[in-house]
Amino acid sequence: MRARTTSRRVAAFAVVGLLVAACSGGGDITESGDDDGTTTTTEPGQTLAPTTTVAPDLLPDCPTDALESATGTVELTFWTGMSGPLAEALQALTDEYNASQAKVKVSLVNDTYEGTANNYQRASQDSRPDLVQMPEYMVQAMVDSESTVPVGKCIDSSGFDTSAFLPTALSAYSTQGVQWGMPFNISNPVLYYSKKAFAAAGLDPDKPPVSLEELREMSQTLVDSGVVKYGLALDSNFDGGGGWYIEQWFAKAQEYYVDGDNGRTNRASKVLYNNDLGVELLTFLQDMINDNLAVSVGSNESGQDDLLKLADAEAPAAMTIHTSAALRGALDVLATGIFPQLTDPDLGIGVMPGPDGAPGALIGGASLWPVDSGDPVRIAATWDFLTFLVSAETQSQWATDTGYVPVRTDAVDVEPHKTTLATDPRFRVAFDQLEASPDALTSAGPVVGPLSEMRVVLADAIARIFEGADVKQSLDEAAEQANNLISSYNTSNG
Amino acid sequence: MNRRRLRDIPWAVLMLVPSAGLLAVWTIYPLVRAVDYGHKQCNRTLTECRDVGWGQFSRVFQSDQFQDALLVSVKFAVFTVPTGLVLGLALAMLADKHIRGIGVFRVIFSSTVATSVAVASLVWFVLLQPQIGVLADQLSGVFPSLKEPGWLNGNDTALPAVAISSVWAGLGFSFIVVTAALQSVPRELHESALVDGAGSFRRFWHVTLPMISPTLLFLMVVLTTRALQTYGEIALLTGGGPQTTKATTNIPYLIYGENSLIRNDIGLKSAAATLLFLLSGVFAAVQFRGFGKRVHYGS
Repeated sequence: MRARTTSRRVAAFAVVGLLVAACSGGGDITESGDDDGTTTTTEPGQTLAPTTTVAPDLLPDCPTDALESATGTVELTFWTGMSGPLAEALQALTDEYNASQAKVKVSLVNDTYEGTANNYQRASQDSRPDLVQMPEYMVQAMVDSESTVPVGKCIDSSGFDTSAFLPTALSAYSTQGVQWGMPFNISNPVLYYSKKAFAAAGLDPDKPPVSLEELREMSQTLVDSGVVKYGLALDSNFDGGGGWYIEQWFAKAQEYYVDGDNGRTNRASKVLYNNDLGVELLTFLQDMINDNLAVSVGSNESGQDDLLKLADAEAPAAMTIHTSAALRGALDVLATGIFPQLTDPDLGIGVMPGPDGAPGALIGGASLWPVDSGDPVRIAATWDFLTFLVSAETQSQWATDTGYVPVRTDAVDVEPHKTTLATDPRFRVAFDQLEASPDALTSAGPVVGPLSEMRVVLADAIARIFEGADVKQSLDEAAEQANNLISSYNTSNG
Repeated sequence: MNRRRLRDIPWAVLMLVPSAGLLAVWTIYPLVRAVDYGHKQCNRTLTECRDVGWGQFSRVFQSDQFQDALLVSVKFAVFTVPTGLVLGLALAMLADKHIRGIGVFRVIFSSTVATSVAVASLVWFVLLQPQIGVLADQLSGVFPSLKEPGWLNGNDTALPAVAISSVWAGLGFSFIVVTAALQSVPRELHESALVDGAGSFRRFWHVTLPMISPTLLFLMVVLTTRALQTYGEIALLTGGGPQTTKATTNIPYLIYGENSLIRNDIGLKSAAATLLFLLSGVFAAVQFRGFGKRVHYGS
């Protein structure tokens, strides 16, 4: 009996102890990885010593001619981040490649971007695939994994002609003078808007806003006319209005998002978004919401809530910013006619409005990374498949099937994308705004190890700003947390 | 007696090897690895690690994010466990009748067992979608928050909304377990209680409930452990949001979730996972201690 009472007391104490501990302590979890003050770590914001350009001879070679010595068919594994219709389109391309020759046979393993990135980083050297598709936020982590053959090496050894490629598509996947990944599927944010609402409000349905000032003026006209409840639907998703779009606006304004020239010349050590431009942008958006010109759909977990707001029967918005990769799917949905108030021809696509109407956009989407298997034949076979995937013909087919922007300019003159663009110019907008990007390092976007977590940090701050929090203070808090993440990443991976 | 027991040992070992092997490979080994990683900081590919000391466990435990997630986990258990227990018991009592066609109802009541968390969450996600969801469409007159901002987007409604989906999905399991227990209650006990003039409430309170109390305790512990481990519903319905309050970021979501800041930090997430394991043990122990003496294990 006594023993029982004692053990019950122990259990009770354990619970009370946990709750007491819950009240004391504190601190941010991003700082929990620091040593007990024994090891020196990089202070957030402290600039690391400049990293010199990576010496090319230290990187793995790409023996592109080794495929000739292959005996029998080379079987390759390709880990992708594609699902649904995108995976089907990629499978069709792969089948076409496999049928076109007998030397190489490629098998796809599909997962989400996040799943593929996790699996790749956890895989042992033997269980890695031959080729892996990585989203744009994984560039620094992939470079640091020291597990791939830089495609620049393959381009050099094979004499592959990249002159037709979009310059920003290549520069997005290069740092310190090394071309690491091969751009494959490109998307960027564009303006989706209701032409019907524009016409009803007396605006020209073929002239969507280009600058932020016009965005506000037209929203005012739209709301005043009573045609829609809101001019603009915003979201605070980390891959949307909470993170990715902010990176885009910084690029349009030709400002760096992280130090080290966006991490392209030196390893990044801190974010810069809590500067005047960041405050100005977020104040602009907050004012739009406060003045009932814009509405936030929140974290947009479905990925479609902002688009659905254009078709909302009760409180619609006339415009939203959304990835161009969703265009094909959105048109397919509208074509079914389930939204009487918004049909396929009613949907207009414009460039992403930016500060002073500055053109340009950052490369979003993903790139392809040949894995250093140590086997020249497999690496050469992977390169052969890669050159097929980025040929003008394949890119033309891929762009029409999916809505992705082709990585090269000559793909728009090849069928079937040539016809797609001629019959539906809406598919052209994302390509045109990329081509208009200024020739500057800011157009290549930030490269930093924990970019995807940093987007979450900023997205949470932006969600608070949309609900009325102080702009400067929220951005400062987010910057501090982001800098902790960078510091912790650089300590373990630098 | 003793010699016979000794003779049985090799057989016992042989019988235990398969499950012990699975337990070792899939539970014990990962747990040991988690404890080990819990005091390390590693690079992304886990090829280089350095020891940062056991203090990492207490720093994670005391961090604002872990404390907030712990509170969410406890709230979630409080929302789901009693509700799941009472509803499971009520449905099982309803279906514990010997009438024609009761099998149909038993199948319906237990059907959520065959529904994966992903499917159940998708059903509720569509039902609750503010613009096109059926619930928002039909009931927004009574609950305006269904439409604006939407239950899954509201700071006060998100966790209860996830709890509703979770309780619904778990109801089939509770129903089956309680039904099995009810069927094992000897009929003679009910009959003699009836002869003694006990009404249906007294028979439930003095015969049924004591007889099935071991099952209810088992169910309570299992449901609590499940509640503390809930991940799928949260990942699919809210992503740990709403973003401003993180009102549904529980400990598992803090460890793995797409919106978690530590999801790529093997050291911090292993420390958090180990802490969750310890907490689950504490909660189970408290339940056994607190309710164990009221449980009637028969003769």
